[in-house]
Amino acid sequence: MATPIVQIRELTKIFRQGEINVTALDGVTLDIAGGEFLALMGPSGSGKSTLLHIIAGIDRPTAGECLVGGIDVGSLSETELAEWRNSHVGFVFQTFNLIPVLTAFENVELPLLLTNLSGSERLEHVEAALSLVGLADRMNHLPRQLSGGQEQRVAIARALVTDPTLIVADEPTGNLDAHSAQEVLNLLGTLSRDAGKTVIMVTHDPKAAAHARRTVQLEKGEMVRDRAVQY
Amino acid sequence: MTIPGFILRNACRNKRRLILTVLSVAISLFLLTILLTTLKLMIDPPTTDQAALRIVTRHRVSLANVLPEKYQFRIERMPGVQYCSKFTWFGGIYKDEASSNFAQFAVDADNIFRIFPEAVVSPLQEEAFVKEKTACIVGGKLAERFGWKLGDRVVITGALWPCDVELIVRGTYRGEGIDETIVFFHHEYFDELMDRRGLVGTFWIKTTTADVIPGLIDRIDAAFRNTDAETKTETERAFQLGFISMMGNVRLFIGSICTVIVFTMLLVTASTMAMAIRERMREISVLKALGFTGMAIFSLILAESCGLAWAGGFLGCFGVKFLAETMDVYKFSHGFLPMFPVSADILAIGMLVATGLGVISSLVPAYTSIRTSVATGLKELD
Repeated sequence: MATPIVQIRELTKIFRQGEINVTALDGVTLDIAGGEFLALMGPSGSGKSTLLHIIAGIDRPTAGECLVGGIDVGSLSETELAEWRNSHVGFVFQTFNLIPVLTAFENVELPLLLTNLSGSERLEHVEAALSLVGLADRMNHLPRQLSGGQEQRVAIARALVTDPTLIVADEPTGNLDAHSAQEVLNLLGTLSRDAGKTVIMVTHDPKAAAHARRTVQLEKGEMVRDRAVQY
Repeated sequence: MTIPGFILRNACRNKRRLILTVLSVAISLFLLTILLTTLKLMIDPPTTDQAALRIVTRHRVSLANVLPEKYQFRIERMPGVQYCSKFTWFGGIYKDEASSNFAQFAVDADNIFRIFPEAVVSPLQEEAFVKEKTACIVGGKLAERFGWKLGDRVVITGALWPCDVELIVRGTYRGEGIDETIVFFHHEYFDELMDRRGLVGTFWIKTTTADVIPGLIDRIDAAFRNTDAETKTETERAFQLGFISMMGNVRLFIGSICTVIVFTMLLVTASTMAMAIRERMREISVLKALGFTGMAIFSLILAESCGLAWAGGFLGCFGVKFLAETMDVYKFSHGFLPMFPVSADILAIGMLVATGLGVISSLVPAYTSIRTSVATGLKELD
């Protein structure tokens, strides 16, 4: 295995719901190599989204360690974490989550507003990202003027535009028809294979998971299976 | 795209709500600006440079008490006095009560416009006024209001005094920043109608310099101490403020209305911002996931909220100023407001209130959105 970019050791996450403690993750240990396309699978409540959130720095573990690129994300302050996410993580959500009042171009440009790039540099990056997902001709369309598959591709362009280390996708095909889902999964596969991006995808769908090179199965907060797919 | 552009897009996403919110703030601040200007006109009336040279002598007990005419002779001979005129409020009725909201004063015709040089009358008209006992000079706005022309006869029925005056308009006065709604007529004529009783409401005195005023005030009051009609002499400014104080605690009354307006505005703006942000919790969570810090989110919400409040504030405050400068306020207010100068400090207060509204109404939604973790926000969505 290549040098792991994500190193998870004995990761535990306990949520408090009223008087009850719910263990979402229970001592998960996992290494993810750079450039890997990994699918996190499991039934609802298995902890796969929680694990993804902790890796992406939008949630904190109760115990254990999560190192991404050598940085313990759990130890960063909220501000440091936000800055870290901006430069190291690209998000793809099930419901696309594009800003409805911004065009495809502006949605993709959004994370770059937090960087020191000039207007012309931002233009260059955004055009490159939208070209990569095949939407260079839809730049000035608002989300409502795009199909679901196109919206998700814009979301992927937005995730890519800052050239992050990790791309995390939470059920990226959950709201798409079969054809669009196939396009999105192919795109994520290409990003991993050709651009060397580490893609971590949460999915219920075995067909979607089949596009990943590795599948990790979680149940009741524990890792029950870790299977690499041979091509 | 720029961050301000992004804020603007967010603010304009629900156009109906945007318009209603901006209008509610604008109307409230419009009202607030009118009230504050009215309050300022009452407690701090506009003055001229010449006012610094004027003092007023009245009865020590109250304005309702009169002074003997003979005091004028002694006052005029005191060092530092340039001109002195009898100045008696007639307070009569012209046609009906509604039309009578203008002041009428019996004055010394030969020197009243030396004491008030800011009230400009043509020399010919002034000469005609001085020559004729029943002549009067009226303010330009008042003449316009009633359509008075030179030579017109104006009858004012006495309400405070047991006599009616029949006046002939012989001139009009104009002046920058002064009340152009007063009728001046001969004190001699008034005295004649009052059977030469020699009663005077006040004496208005123009001094040679401002330096002599403190000593002159003391000398005048000392001269009439221990008489039947002791005097109280004060500067024009102090006299005006004393007059206004007789109206009761207007400041408290108008201040209370202003507070209610500001509080109502705060509720409206805060509720709008809370709704706007609650609808956008999904997007705020996404923005945070993309790397926007809590402070950046707070700044976005604050800027949007302040932008709405400033837009309303600008429309409301400057709308009053625009209207006051373009329309005839005197005519519009049926003679109640001779002038309506919306000063820079009132505009500044209005915009400050708008800023306060923007800041306060953004605090709770901003705090809520910052406190909600990205993971929690996203879980609520998906």
